[in-house]
Amino acid sequence: MWQLVLHRMAATIPVLFLVSAGVFMLIHLTPGDPIDVMMAESVDAGVKETLRRELGLDRPLALQYAHWMGRILQGDFGRSIRNREPVIENVGRRIRPSLQLAALAMVISLVVAFPIGILSAARRNSPLDGAGSLFSLFGICMPNFLLALLLIFFFGVTLRWLPISGYSDPFEEPLAGLRSLALPAVTLGLALAAVIMRTLRSSMLEALAEDYVRTARAKGVSEWRVIGGHVLRNALIPVVTVMGLQLGTLIGGAVITEYVFALPGVGRLVVDAVFARDYPLVQGVVLLIAVGFIASNLIVDLLYGWIDPRIRIR
Amino acid sequence: MPSNRPRTGPRAVSRRAFLRLSAFAAGGLTPLTSPGARRAWGQAAPAPKKGGTLRVGFYVEAATMDPHLSGSKVDRQVYHNIYEPLVTLDNKLGLRPGLAESWQQPDAKTIIFKLRQGVKFHDGTDFNAEAAKFNFNRMKTEPKSVRKGELASVESVDVVDAYTIRLNLRRPDAALLATLTDRAGMMVSPKVIQEKGAELERNARGAGTGPFQFVEWVKDAHLVLRRNEAYWSKSGGPYLDQIRYRPIPDDTVKLQSLQTGEIDVMDYVQPRDVAAVKADRNVVVVDVPSLADFAYQLNHTKPPFNVKALRQAVAYSVDLEQIVKGVWLNVGVPANGPIPPTSWAYDSGIPFIKRDLARAKAKLAEGGKPGGFSFTVTTNNIPLNIQEAEVLQAQLAEAGITMKVKLVDSATLLADGNSKSFEMISYQWSGRPDPDGNTYQFYKTSPGVSLNWSGISNPQIDAILDKSRETPRQADRKKLFSELTRLLQEELPMLFIVHPIEPKAFSPRVQGYDPVPDGMMRFREVWLK
Repeated sequence: MWQLVLHRMAATIPVLFLVSAGVFMLIHLTPGDPIDVMMAESVDAGVKETLRRELGLDRPLALQYAHWMGRILQGDFGRSIRNREPVIENVGRRIRPSLQLAALAMVISLVVAFPIGILSAARRNSPLDGAGSLFSLFGICMPNFLLALLLIFFFGVTLRWLPISGYSDPFEEPLAGLRSLALPAVTLGLALAAVIMRTLRSSMLEALAEDYVRTARAKGVSEWRVIGGHVLRNALIPVVTVMGLQLGTLIGGAVITEYVFALPGVGRLVVDAVFARDYPLVQGVVLLIAVGFIASNLIVDLLYGWIDPRIRIR
Repeated sequence: MPSNRPRTGPRAVSRRAFLRLSAFAAGGLTPLTSPGARRAWGQAAPAPKKGGTLRVGFYVEAATMDPHLSGSKVDRQVYHNIYEPLVTLDNKLGLRPGLAESWQQPDAKTIIFKLRQGVKFHDGTDFNAEAAKFNFNRMKTEPKSVRKGELASVESVDVVDAYTIRLNLRRPDAALLATLTDRAGMMVSPKVIQEKGAELERNARGAGTGPFQFVEWVKDAHLVLRRNEAYWSKSGGPYLDQIRYRPIPDDTVKLQSLQTGEIDVMDYVQPRDVAAVKADRNVVVVDVPSLADFAYQLNHTKPPFNVKALRQAVAYSVDLEQIVKGVWLNVGVPANGPIPPTSWAYDSGIPFIKRDLARAKAKLAEGGKPGGFSFTVTTNNIPLNIQEAEVLQAQLAEAGITMKVKLVDSATLLADGNSKSFEMISYQWSGRPDPDGNTYQFYKTSPGVSLNWSGISNPQIDAILDKSRETPRQADRKKLFSELTRLLQEELPMLFIVHPIEPKAFSPRVQGYDPVPDGMMRFREVWLK
C-alpha cells in the first residue's frame, strides 16, 4: 500500500507543476492590476510605481514565475498583496470553516442518502422509490443560493431557530459553532445527498441482479442481510468515487454558500482574491486546493482496496 | 474612486424629498432625521445612557488599520471611531474643530493650527505639535504612503510651540482644510508607529485618540473596539461599551440579519430593498444624501468622442429623469454636473441636460454622422449598472445611436480606464467634502496616469480649476464652480447621471446617529435604548 501512496505522490508533481503554470498565466493575463484595485482612489502614480517595483510586478512574467516557483520550492508561498500577510496564514485561517462545513455536509448527506438510496433500490418502482426520485431531482435541480435563501427565510427569519449568517468555531463554542454551520451544511448536504442517493440506488440495482444475490437468497439468507451484507458492500465503489470528487469540490468550491452565509471559507477567499487581482494569494490558494483534490482522490483509491479486497494492491 | 458597487438608494424618496434632505444638509435646519426620529413630536428626548455593544454589518472587510497606508473606503468607516482628524465635518459639511481647536490663515500659503490640549493617544502618550509634525512627515515621506497626493500642496510643517503647528504651502490650496477631515488629517501615535512598524496594519492598539480604542481584529470574523474611558471630551459620548464590526457580503442576508436583530446597523441598503425595509417596524432607515457622483467618462482622445458634437448628441439623447426614476427608484437626483446637492458649491440654478431628440439629430449631422453611429460602453457587471446600460441603449437607439455594452469586473474597469482603452466607461466616484475633490483630478489637463480618464484638456477649465484653489472666499469659489459646471455641460468629459443617496439602516434601539453626508458612521454620540 505504501508503494501505491509513494507512486501516487510522485505522479502529483507534474500535475502540480501544470496547475501552478496554468493559474499563474491565467491570473496575470486577466486584465487589471492589484495596485490599481488597492489604490483606486489615489491619483499618485509615484506611489503605485514604488509598490509595483517592491512587489516585482514590473519584471517580465517568466522571471516573476521563476521567482515565485523558487520560493514555493522552499516552502514560501509569499504574501497577499491586499493584506500583506503570508498566504499560508490566510489559508490557514480560512481552511478550518471550510473543512468543518465539508465534513458536516458530508455527514448530513450520508445520513439522508443511505436510507433513501437503500430503500429505493430494495423497493424498486414502489411509491417509496418514486418519492426518493422526486427528492433527488429536487436536490440536484435546486440552485444552492436559492435553497440557502429559503432556509434562511424559514429557519432564520420566520422561526428564528438558527442564526442567519456568521461563523463560530465548533471546537471553541460547540453549540454556537454547530448552529452557525447548520444551515450552510444542510444547503450543501442536501444537494450532495441527492447525487449520492442516485448513485447508490443505481449501483445497488446493478448488484441486486448479480448471481451471488440469487445464491444468497436461495441459501435462505434474510432479505435485509442480503441487502446489507452483500449488495451494499458491492455497490459502494461508485459511491465512494462520487464522494471523493465531491469532497474536493466542497472545500474550494462552496463559494456561493460561503457568500450567502458570510462564512469565511477558502472558496470566498479565492474569489475575493481574484477580484482584487491578489496574484500571490490566488496562485497559492489554487495550488493548495489542487493538493487537497489530489489527496482526497488518493484516499478514495485507498478506500477501494479496503472495500473490495480484489482490487487491493499487493 | 470607482466604487465596486452601487451604494445608494432607498425606496421612492421623491425628488422633492431628496432636495429637502439636501437642503437640511446644505442649508442647515435641525440635524437630519436620526434613528430616534420616529419618536412622536413633543416627547422629551430620552437622556443617553452608557453601555451595550453595537453590532455593525459591513459588505467587505477592512484592508488595513494604518490610515496613512489605506486606499479603500471601508477602512475609513472604522478609522473615524479610532482616530481623529485635525478638522471634522458637521452634517451640513461645515468644518468644525477636531484635534485642532482653531486655525487661521495669515496668508494664502500658510495655515496655523492651534491644537487641543490634554489629548492623549490610547497608549497614554500625549498628542501635541511634535506628534502632529511626525504624522505629516510620515505621510509625506513614507514610501508606501497613499496620502502623498492629498498633501501635495504642503511644503513643510513647523512646530511653533508645544500646541501650535504651521503648515507652509507650496501653493494656495483652498481645499486643504476639507482634505484634513479624513485620513490625511488623522493623527496616529508616533510611539506606536515606531514600535509596531508594519504590525500597525493589523493591530491598532494604542494608536488613536478617538472615542473608541482598538481591541482586536480577527480577520474575516470581527473587529472590536471599546470605549475610550480617558476620552478628552467630557461632555456627551462615547456611550457604547463596544463596537463590533462584521463583514456580511450578501446584501439580502445582511438585511435579514438586521431584521432579526443579529446586527444593529448596516452600512447601506440597496435601492431594490428600501421599500421593504421602510415598511418594517423593526428597522429604521436614514437617508444620507451622499457626496457621490455617478457618471460615464467619454474618451476625448479617440473616435467617436473626440468630436464634441457627437458627445453632445449622446447627452441630448439621454433622459436622466427616466433613468433616475426607473433604475435608481428615485434614490437620488439627476446630476447637472460633478458637484452633489449636499455641497455648498451646488448650483441649483443650472438644470441637468434635458432630452431633446431634434437637437441630438442636429448634433449628429454637425458631427458628420447624420445617420447615427455606434460605440461601446464599458461598465461593471452588477445588476444596477446592467439595467442602467439597457435603458441608455434604448434611449440612444431612438436617436439612431447604437450602443454596445461590455460588462467587466471592477479590476478590468480600472485597467481599461487608466489605459484609456474605452469609448465610454462607467465611473462612480464616492465624493469628497470639498468640490475640488469631485473636479480637479478629473478635468485638469494631466498627462500620464490620473483619474482624468476622458483625457480632456481645456485651457479655460484648467484656469478655473487652478483659480478655485487659490480663491479663499467660499462665495467666490462657488461662482467658479458654477462656471465650471456650465463648461462641463458644454464640453462633456463625462455624461453625468445621478447623485445617489446612501441609506443606512438601524435597529430601533440605536439612538443619536448624526448622518454626515460623507457616509462615514461616527459612533461617538450613539447609544442603545
